[in-house]
Amino acid sequence: MTSRTRARVIYTNPSRAARPKPEASGRERFWWYFMRVSGLALVLLALGHMFIMHVLVVLTGDEINFAFVQSRWGSPFWRIYDFALLVLAFLHGVNGARVVIGDYVTHRTARSLVIGLLLAISGIWLVLGMAIIVFFDPTTQSVSGPLS
Amino acid sequence: MINLFGYRLSWAQLAWFGHRASGLGVLLFLFLHIVETSTVLLGPEVYDFTQTFYQNLPAKLGEVMLMAALVYHSLNGLRVIAMDFWPSLTVYYRPLTYGVIGATVVAMIPLGIIMTRGYLPWG
Ligand code: HEM
Repeated sequence: MTSRTRARVIYTNPSRAARPKPEASGRERFWWYFMRVSGLALVLLALGHMFIMHVLVVLTGDEINFAFVQSRWGSPFWRIYDFALLVLAFLHGVNGARVVIGDYVTHRTARSLVIGLLLAISGIWLVLGMAIIVFFDPTTQSVSGPLS
Repeated sequence: MINLFGYRLSWAQLAWFGHRASGLGVLLFLFLHIVETSTVLLGPEVYDFTQTFYQNLPAKLGEVMLMAALVYHSLNGLRVIAMDFWPSLTVYYRPLTYGVIGATVVAMIPLGIIMTRGYLPWG
């Protein structure tokens, strides 16, 4: 009975439909764990964000505009929430994209090149994203810049 | 087994492909979302203008797709995580996979209705 149950446990069968845990400890194993731990946090952070922005805002008849951001980012709680969401979703997503590229681009040089490009662009993008949350000033009335 | 455009696919393969496609789709949106939100630093006029890009039916349908991708990716991701840490659960991989797909469809019914409010025939 037990042996039969055990025989049906799938450890490496692709029908488990996910990456198996890397055997060796090191960077790849770290990222394997990172995907799972950040995934758990993102269930709250990402789904929570979508729920607030696309369900609660609609149901309360609110609107997402500058004033909305002012009141939201006026509170340190939501700034920290959004910052954590940004960084975790970004690292999780970009590492996922790196794994996908590794699956399809098999030529060694081409792979390093494509992944290098992904990481360079992502680095700049993430810094921009973090800067928005850090530097936004909720007391702004109106700015006079080249675009306003 | 299911038949898709002449390819014979198992639900497990489809679940895996869906996880990959939804993850990449949400990541692409995250890149755009950072650029669009950066206009908040340029003041209310510019930001409020960029937000009008979302106020039409095609954009609303895009938001519904984004929500569906994230709901599916989260539920399927939880299934993957659960099976990784409790390998004995892989015995139930098939009902769990059906459950994830079914739960996504069921969750999207109220979410889709709420998210497209104002664009539906009954207001
Ligand atoms: C909301 C909760 C989320 C959970 C529970 C979750 C869970 C997971 C897990 C466990 C994996 C690894 C699968 C494997 O090793 O085979 C994964 C992969 C991935 N995730 Fe997520 N994730 C979530 C949110 C996100 C978000 C917000 C993004 C986009 C920014 C994203 C993008 C990706 C990508 C691109 C992959 C790689 C897919 C692949 O290798 O086929 N995920 N996710």
